[in-house]
Amino acid sequence: MNTTSHLLLMALFAGCVAVVGGVLLKDTPRQQARTAAEIFGSLVGAALVLGWVLYFFPL
Amino acid sequence: MAERPSSRRAARPAATAPAAPHAARPLALVYLAGWLIPGGGHLWLGRTVKGLVFLVMLPAMFVIGLALDGRLFPFTPGDPLVALASLANFGSGLPYFIAQAMGFGAGRALAPTYEFGNAFLITAGLLNALIIIDAHDIALGRK
Repeated sequence: MNTTSHLLLMALFAGCVAVVGGVLLKDTPRQQARTAAEIFGSLVGAALVLGWVLYFFPL
Repeated sequence: MAERPSSRRAARPAATAPAAPHAARPLALVYLAGWLIPGGGHLWLGRTVKGLVFLVMLPAMFVIGLALDGRLFPFTPGDPLVALASLANFGSGLPYFIAQAMGFGAGRALAPTYEFGNAFLITAGLLNALIIIDAHDIALGRK
């Protein structure tokens, strides 16, 4: 793979997990899409928040 | 407000009545199909759309992990974290064995995407384990 953008790879990873999680947890397409969006938002949001926390409080 | 839980409980048996179990399909074979072919258990049990989504997504995650220079870890009991990662890799089923046979998955620790590759490979195996558990519930008529 050519890209080394960690933000893009993180979004790709979150997208894959979200699709599988949404389809696994719910049964109707509408519920699956909603759950997948929630998982994707949670993963990306948590990563961005933790990234900024670590920026101000490095290990 | 106080009545709501009891009314919900009363409505529950009709709303979420468990499906009939798939008695004709041996559970062990459902597990084996689900493990070797991601989504195979669901396809066998008639959940075609779910099975196809898993059949596409999990091998795709596995291939992305390999493309990102991730590593298929060897099973080394002396190193617990590596052993756990190895078990997670093993969960991917047939793609794992194909990659091993073709010599992929050596990993390149100096690559900037190495850790992302490992995350994709490990997560693909772990998600397949969750999918097998879901197939187990479907086979028993719980879903």
